[in-house]
Amino acid sequence: MSVLSRWGAVLLAPAMALLIALAISGLVMGALGVNPFRVLTVMVDFGDTPSQQVTQIVAVLNRALPLFLAGLAVAIGFRMGLFNIGVEGQYRMATIIAATVGAAVVLPGPLHVALIIAVAMVVGALWAGIVAVLKVTRGVSEVISSIMLNTIALGLASYLLTGPFRGSPEGASIVATAEIPESGRIGGLNGVFDVLGLANPPRQLYGFLLVAVVVGVLVWVLLQRTRFGFDLRATGLSPSAASASGVDARGMVVKTMLLSGAVAGLIGLPDLLGRTYEYNSDFTSGLGFLGIAVALLGRNSPAGIALAAVLYAFLDRASVPLQAAQLPSSVVTIIQGTIVLAVVVANEIARRLSRRAAERASRQAPSAPAPQAQQPAAQEVTS
Amino acid sequence: MDESTPLAVELRGITKRFPGVVANKDIELRVARGEVHAIVGENGAGKSTLMKTLYGMHRPDEGQVLVDGREVHFRSPNDAIAAGIGMVHQHFMLADNFTVLENVVLGSEPTRGGRLDRATAGRRIREISDSYSLGLDPDALVEDLGVGDRQRVEIAKVLYRGATTLILDEPTAVLVPQEVDELFGNLAELKREGLTVIFISHKLDEVRKVADSITVIRRGTTVGTADPRTTTARQLAEMMVGAELPTPATRESTVREVPVLEVRGLTVPGAGGGRAVVEDVTLTVREGEVVGIAGVEGNGQAELIDALLGLRLPSAGTVSLGGQDVTGWSTRRRRESGIGFIPEDRHRQGMLLEAPLWENRILGHQTRPPAGNGRFIDRKAAREDTGRIMRDYDVRAPDPDTLAVALSGGNQQKLIVGREMSAHPRVLLAAHPTRGVDVGAQAVIWELLKDARAEGMAIVLVSADLEELIGLSDTLHVMLRGQLVATVDPRSVTPEELGGHMTGGHHPSPAGAA
Amino acid sequence: MKAAALLLAGSLALAACASDEPEAGGGSAGTSAEGGGELQVGIAYDTGGRGDKSFNDSAYAGASAAVEELGGTVTDLTPNADASNRVDLLTQLADDGSNPVIGVGFAFADAIAEVAPQYPETTFAIVDSSVADAGLDNVTGLLFAANEGSFLGGVAAALKSQTNHIGFVGGVESPLIQEFEAGYVAGAQAAKPGIQVDVQYISPAGDFSGFSDPAKGYTLAQGMYQGGADIVYHAAGASGQGVFRAAAEAGGQAIGVDSDQYETIGDPALQAVIMTSVLKRVDNAIQQFITDYSEGNVTGGEDRVADLESEGVGLSTSGGKIDDISAQLDTFEQQIVGGEIEVPTTP
Repeated sequence: MSVLSRWGAVLLAPAMALLIALAISGLVMGALGVNPFRVLTVMVDFGDTPSQQVTQIVAVLNRALPLFLAGLAVAIGFRMGLFNIGVEGQYRMATIIAATVGAAVVLPGPLHVALIIAVAMVVGALWAGIVAVLKVTRGVSEVISSIMLNTIALGLASYLLTGPFRGSPEGASIVATAEIPESGRIGGLNGVFDVLGLANPPRQLYGFLLVAVVVGVLVWVLLQRTRFGFDLRATGLSPSAASASGVDARGMVVKTMLLSGAVAGLIGLPDLLGRTYEYNSDFTSGLGFLGIAVALLGRNSPAGIALAAVLYAFLDRASVPLQAAQLPSSVVTIIQGTIVLAVVVANEIARRLSRRAAERASRQAPSAPAPQAQQPAAQEVTS
Repeated sequence: MDESTPLAVELRGITKRFPGVVANKDIELRVARGEVHAIVGENGAGKSTLMKTLYGMHRPDEGQVLVDGREVHFRSPNDAIAAGIGMVHQHFMLADNFTVLENVVLGSEPTRGGRLDRATAGRRIREISDSYSLGLDPDALVEDLGVGDRQRVEIAKVLYRGATTLILDEPTAVLVPQEVDELFGNLAELKREGLTVIFISHKLDEVRKVADSITVIRRGTTVGTADPRTTTARQLAEMMVGAELPTPATRESTVREVPVLEVRGLTVPGAGGGRAVVEDVTLTVREGEVVGIAGVEGNGQAELIDALLGLRLPSAGTVSLGGQDVTGWSTRRRRESGIGFIPEDRHRQGMLLEAPLWENRILGHQTRPPAGNGRFIDRKAAREDTGRIMRDYDVRAPDPDTLAVALSGGNQQKLIVGREMSAHPRVLLAAHPTRGVDVGAQAVIWELLKDARAEGMAIVLVSADLEELIGLSDTLHVMLRGQLVATVDPRSVTPEELGGHMTGGHHPSPAGAA
Repeated sequence: MKAAALLLAGSLALAACASDEPEAGGGSAGTSAEGGGELQVGIAYDTGGRGDKSFNDSAYAGASAAVEELGGTVTDLTPNADASNRVDLLTQLADDGSNPVIGVGFAFADAIAEVAPQYPETTFAIVDSSVADAGLDNVTGLLFAANEGSFLGGVAAALKSQTNHIGFVGGVESPLIQEFEAGYVAGAQAAKPGIQVDVQYISPAGDFSGFSDPAKGYTLAQGMYQGGADIVYHAAGASGQGVFRAAAEAGGQAIGVDSDQYETIGDPALQAVIMTSVLKRVDNAIQQFITDYSEGNVTGGEDRVADLESEGVGLSTSGGKIDDISAQLDTFEQQIVGGEIEVPTTP
């Protein structure tokens, strides 16, 4: 199989799913009396001036960033057959504690940022670790315990925010932690636009993008190239075969959850270090759940998840101009939902098709020559 | 053949294609009324595709199906049943918590006033049971029945629906020798009552014992018919594979003095603290020795293997490898120190079906070459070595990147055997190493085990194939209810004697032990 | 297991996508055609959007009334489910040429602080958030003395209570809603010292589900009625529906919030239990702001506080259920306006 056709096969299913989802959404829109072509036009219209267009691109990328991290965190669990629904709680806990620690210390720039990132990853990992410990010691399903820990995290974050971690003055409308000083922030990447000769809008592209790219590459290397990744994927494909091959299943659960939680801990940081500089009562919620959809959409591979996150963000962005154009923004939700379902179905179909193709190929494969003496005479084909 | 009486079943030029592959080609089959007709062929030769065609589970692309001389076109198994053709599947399709009566009538219940008419159903089932000597009690719960009885329930199910031609798919695969004899007795009864039996198998001795005529299938097409009275099992097998083949029997003893694996008083508790599934097992395997473990399945063999591999924790006893106590070691450490493993269920414990062959090559050997010693997987070396195994062990697949699921059972098994052998283990735990593989692959695997033994490898062999056990083993233990209850000399023991030990009596007895 | 996990994932993903957003995001009021100098008002709603029968609807009513009178159009936008796109809403409105642009709700504070400097020619306003110290000279803060209105609500509840026991259900335990609680409790104590006031919040600060969880509102209110309270005041947005339902079932009374919920509730059974509503005349404030803007009377960089004195807050009288105590209510109102009563802002 050539590289081209292999990539073609990988991309074909999601591309088909996307088209089918668009077709279905179009029909639904038609039934609702909305012109799907107008919707499409509005969706791809990024504005009139170069500055507006770049602003929209920045909006999409900034939105995609936490979605990518969330999808990655979920996918790490998925790859070994663990369903980490607790990403939501993990990033909430990680963000509030990282925000507080970040505001409490003053360090030279890179060190300060590194500390905040480290704290977020450790907290996310620990929070996810509770799930793992419950699973390996008590056999509690990670689905159940992580859902419960989400609720606990929400409550605990609220308590910490209004109690010991409160940094905002009494009576302020929005309760927040103290602000992270300048040294702990990550500047924007808008310089890139100047280099590329594009307009440089006031909206800043999150510098955390670089961190996310590094994390994505590291996760890919870890999963695809290392022994740990092999053990992890083997466990996901067949827990019993992995155990028989010497993988310590319990240890694997713990390590995978810690890793998934550590990545989950990063989800809130693009906003925290690039815009809000504080965790507050209005901090974006629900990213952990969206991460499940993004991971499914991206077929659990870092590159796929990146594409899925950008697609999701692109659709999300459209809800505002759609409203402005007097079109129902709920079509965005319809399209997102149909795409996720279509991709899940298409993945399954593609999996079966490729399996059948492989079976066909191996059936037609010529029998290998028998160069060794230990081959019995039975190998001579007499047909 | 006498053309005046129509044949019970005749297939003419049946061809069945699946996308990109021809599963059956120009199949010719002539089954006379009132005979037991065996269809033999390697796994993957196209037997089940053919039977699915005959049972109406799919339609042939070319050719004719004739029943009693008339051409038929089955759209579903219901059409086949209506034409008097019934199928007894290899895997029983029974509801355990239902009675025999309920299972038999399930799907075609006689009703009176909307309620199940138990009296009528019970009467008919007794009639069927008596006229074919099935010995079924309609009110017995299926979960209380042994394997042989369950199979008779399946047969009764088919007869209840009025079948005059019965297809039996590998019916002896799940039976011990005594039960096989009983089944053959039943088949004789069916034949005497004028019914026709199509018997699918790859166990050639049995086929010769029970069949009136034999059709051989190879590579999707019929290669000929044979008369069981004048054809030997070897000749049949050679027709099946198109070549000559070896036997499992080992040559002279290669047993050396050095013990490799020593198991002392090993006891493994059952799930939830129930009765021990392995109880006080003591055995020694020396260099160059094959220690066979016979037993009806479910008597603790699988758990024993798991415990030796470190997948189950024993509650008592020790396992030592080369004089070193490994009882507390992890599976990985055991495998690293020289325990090889051919699992009884390769899909469950031996393969990652959705992964490419080269990843399956390093499964279980992640920590040593060709996978690499460090944190990273050496993909290039793994691929290359997979190619070597594919060549040396005749694994038929396009390339090392093929998904394992695409391979036939025999090729998957050859890959597993190849990778385990390539690691040169000190002890090989081989559980049903030739289960579900075709005759060709079986011969290859036997040869490999024999060669390894000659080179000094210690082998623990668990198998349901008594011929294999007797032929390969140097020492043969019998396992019953978790204990080693007998040790027999494989040079002198017969399959019947062994079967007697396995079911708890020294002499052949009709009791099913399941 | 794998299939089940996928199904679960799929449904979760869908649940995550789904939101209670109302059907149409955009609405257009006013009749006149577009033209130069035409008034084009932009409104960015708080989560929940138009159709919440409360805060956002009230904002829309004010803007509609203004363009009705002055001519022009209203463009209104609703944020996405996790409200992460507030900046995008304001940017879109400003880019489209809307002026003034009004953010409904304090949650727009950060977003306006980011967007307003980029559009110095556009006039912004934000409801419920002070801009006095923000240094944004094209933003006006529209504030309400919610504590004063709630004080009168507390007085009414105390006077009308048969059991000498009343309740308060807050949506989210944030400083803004605590102001409602503070005024309410103070008013009740002032009218009937020693009265028992149950106080409960649906969700803690940081969790905004409390404004859109009628089931939880129902449960909390039901507990209060069963515990002996006969009048419950809610400051819980859409969750208030649950409070009204509990009141109807328990035969009690309830006090609405923000808009005149007696008129907007649309369900006769629930209408019957709404004794009064503590009005927060967002509509008046927004209408006034737009009018002032069109007349060039907005300076920016300052707050406008609507209180009892300016009739920006108060009690509704629809249904006539508090007509009998209007004299007492008037007395308290005079004392607040006159400064004799200082209404607390925190509990």
